[in-house]
Amino acid sequence: MPPLLNSLIELIIGFAGGLAVGGGYVAFITVLGIVPRLIQLSKTEPFLNIYAACILLGSLFGTFLSFTNITWNYSFVFIMIWGILQGIFNGMLAAALTEVLNVFPILYKRIGIEKHTMWLLMAIVFGKIAGSIFQWVYFVKQ
Amino acid sequence: MAEQVYLRMKKNMEIIGYQELKLKDIAYLSTNASEKEKLENLPIYRITKKDKNIVILDSFLIIEHLNHDFTNLEFQLIGPPQTIIRIQEKKKSPSVMIAIGVWILLFVGTAMTIMNFHYDVSMQEVHQKIHYLLTGQEKEFPLWLQIPYSFGLGIGMLLFFNHWFNKRFNEEPSPLEVEIYNYQQDLDNYVIHYENKLNDAPPPK
Repeated sequence: MPPLLNSLIELIIGFAGGLAVGGGYVAFITVLGIVPRLIQLSKTEPFLNIYAACILLGSLFGTFLSFTNITWNYSFVFIMIWGILQGIFNGMLAAALTEVLNVFPILYKRIGIEKHTMWLLMAIVFGKIAGSIFQWVYFVKQ
Repeated sequence: MAEQVYLRMKKNMEIIGYQELKLKDIAYLSTNASEKEKLENLPIYRITKKDKNIVILDSFLIIEHLNHDFTNLEFQLIGPPQTIIRIQEKKKSPSVMIAIGVWILLFVGTAMTIMNFHYDVSMQEVHQKIHYLLTGQEKEFPLWLQIPYSFGLGIGMLLFFNHWFNKRFNEEPSPLEVEIYNYQQDLDNYVIHYENKLNDAPPPK
């Protein structure tokens, strides 16, 4: 096969794959409703388009990072900020997962713990933090 | 012309023990008629053991009963078409022991699910790579990235649920409260349909 044709096929496959993954990713973010939740909390509805652009650019930047091998020399402070941002985003993602949202109303009815609902929510929050720290500090070293 | 009586059924009510319900217990009344007090104290329904936990009082039956007794009045229904009555034999307070048990269950359960999630998406490798990209140093355990990540995880969940213990950050209902409300609404719709003797469809087995 001539190399030009080969590249063309590769280009089409890559582009098609990108389209499918991009569509799926946006659908995933939309279904979980993190963006509406953030807009609700920050009361910044007029900036919706900017947020959409942010998601797009962020995804492109992430793709760039995962396919490249360059390095920068940032300090650990930068890394910490990066980590906490990833954590907040992932925390919202985990909170939005339907497992939590669907289990709670049932627990609430079944066991009659109306007054303790928020304490139980804190159990989930602390459980996530503890599990995560345990994994990085101890579990992965075994 | 007959006096108008406006009747608004209460949507949901809880009672403790078996007792007789008067009209004012299950509905709000508004009228200029002189019989208002008599109407309010009219016995409507006696709750007995065979009612079990839930009774639905349909406004149609009540209006029929009232029309029969007060032929000079005209009854108008506004608001919900039925009242859901939940019966408890005695007042039960939520058990702290059960709450503690559920707390531990949720704590361990979520800790395990987040660890499984991290393995599922190979987060350790991604963190190692991102640490290398940003700082130029290879590190097997990039804790400067991972500890802040772990606390961020908690902050993100608090933001999403809009709660820190019993304190809320702003007035908006959290997704959890909306979800609990929706679930209650679904349960109500179910019992309204299947516990109402006027809808003679038996519940699916």
